[in-house]
Amino acid sequence: MMAAWRRLGASPWMFAGPAVAASIVFVWLPMASTLGLSFFDWSLLRQEATWRGLDHYRGTLANPDFHLALGNTGLYLAALIPLQVGIPLVLAFALVRVKAKTIGRLYRTALFAPSVLSFPVAAVVWLWLFNPTVGFLNTLGGSIGLAPQRWLSDPSLAIWSVIIVAFWKSFGLNLLIFLAALANVPTDVTEAARIDGTSAIRQAIDIELPLISPALFFALVTTIIVVLDEIVGAVDVLTEGGPYRTSSNLLYFLYERGFRHFQFGEAAAVAVLIAAIVASVTWAQFQFGERHVHYD
Amino acid sequence: MSTTTDAVALPRRIAVDAAPTSAIVRRRTSQVALHAAFIAACAATLFPLLWMVRTAFAPSHDVFRATLSLWPDNATLGNFAAAFRLHPVGTWFVNSVVVAGAITLGKLALAVPAGFAFSVLSFRGRDAAFALVVGTMTVPYVITLLPTYVAVASIGLYDTLTGVIVPAVGHCGFVVFFLRQAFKALPRELFEAARIDGAGPWRQMLTIALPNIWGAVAAMAVLSFLGAWNLYLWPHLILDATEHKTLSIGLKLFATTGEQGGEWGPLMATALLAALPVVLLYLVAQRQLVSAFATSGIR
Repeated sequence: MMAAWRRLGASPWMFAGPAVAASIVFVWLPMASTLGLSFFDWSLLRQEATWRGLDHYRGTLANPDFHLALGNTGLYLAALIPLQVGIPLVLAFALVRVKAKTIGRLYRTALFAPSVLSFPVAAVVWLWLFNPTVGFLNTLGGSIGLAPQRWLSDPSLAIWSVIIVAFWKSFGLNLLIFLAALANVPTDVTEAARIDGTSAIRQAIDIELPLISPALFFALVTTIIVVLDEIVGAVDVLTEGGPYRTSSNLLYFLYERGFRHFQFGEAAAVAVLIAAIVASVTWAQFQFGERHVHYD
Repeated sequence: MSTTTDAVALPRRIAVDAAPTSAIVRRRTSQVALHAAFIAACAATLFPLLWMVRTAFAPSHDVFRATLSLWPDNATLGNFAAAFRLHPVGTWFVNSVVVAGAITLGKLALAVPAGFAFSVLSFRGRDAAFALVVGTMTVPYVITLLPTYVAVASIGLYDTLTGVIVPAVGHCGFVVFFLRQAFKALPRELFEAARIDGAGPWRQMLTIALPNIWGAVAAMAVLSFLGAWNLYLWPHLILDATEHKTLSIGLKLFATTGEQGGEWGPLMATALLAALPVVLLYLVAQRQLVSAFATSGIR
């Protein structure tokens, strides 16, 4: 009896089982349920389902608010991908050329600091900087003769204010990714180029950039995750998607449909659409990666 | 071998001979320009944090005055006292510690044995099981949100910290992946010897493998803690009562319930309290964090 227990305790499934079970219960089953839920009308209170087929998908795709959220998500991506990949890339190339390594590490520490904060903390800090009457930005602007801006309540400005916060809060992650990749570039390669008299910029573009392309690829993925997923913490605190939904995005739209209006079936359809977009972007990146990324 | 070294070294000697001083001067000026650019970039990056700290310590009359001065006259702790008076900030802080601590421990409790099994032990179905766990990394968490919410609500865990913690622990794919890589790097002979000595798999894991991958475990602990401390949407959906909230979602309540013109001093004091643990953790464990991010990046 004891021996049987001991054999069971030593079974590999005692090690791997809990993680496998957790993955099934908390990821795979909910994923399948969301897919199922999207074909039904269902409410938490009545707990009875009515089959609706593809109605929620049709309704969502025809909903002008969904179009706005989709367009905004596109704008977030179009603005943040070049910012969050380009600027950290330039910073990383410059940082590896700083000769004083200790000071270089201090720069890295400072530049990454906002990235350890949460989106709501970052958003609250900026909420104060954006304050139209006594906030720092308008005070600074006023002191050099600029008109005060309604950073968060001007419909043409609000989404850009959220973009500023998102960039500030998350560019450091991509910087770290690039620095780690550059640290793996063999020094004899860069040394040889330097001795050949290659300029620093040519060296960065022609030699280092191709060698770190897997990191570039990964930075693109982290940026897309920021926009489709994490940015909601900033949107909710800064603007609640407003004014007039001009800073809303797909996840915020889902949040409104599911948890403000409790249209679970409809929200499930939105979740499936978001996941489909994420999956297709990842797939497109993979295709791109297969052809252009150097893995070695 | 020596000929190639000469071939590489030769042009350098010529270059140095040809333009000794101007090259060095050029290199020095470019270093000065680099430092100037980085000091400006760091100042701009840190400024919003400085402004948060400044406001957190500013007396209330100073906050309502549009100012550009970097530090208030008569700095005070009054905003912290006011924050605790206005909202249950202390409770929010404890809730955040409980949620982040429990999620971190839970993820490690699942991922350490799983990572060990997927690297050191061999058994039927191992590859399929591994794919099932690590495959979760590709699933956007939005698609799990609604059913998990319904499940949590229907077993009576709505508005409880347990309801926030348990489902979050399940998203441990990356931790398993990372720890498996660390276990895999250990030499197999280490375990062979222990097996001959009659050590079972649990003892092999706890006394031989774990002490050798302590850095990787620390990296995952820090990363999980940061992630859990910063959770927003999920606790926002599950927690309802004011005194059940975590700091992240309490901040939103704080920011939106203040009177117009707001309690900016107390709000910034609360933001500082929310930022402090993660910033300190980052400063202390920077090496582990960087290694964790690096692995996730170069994969």
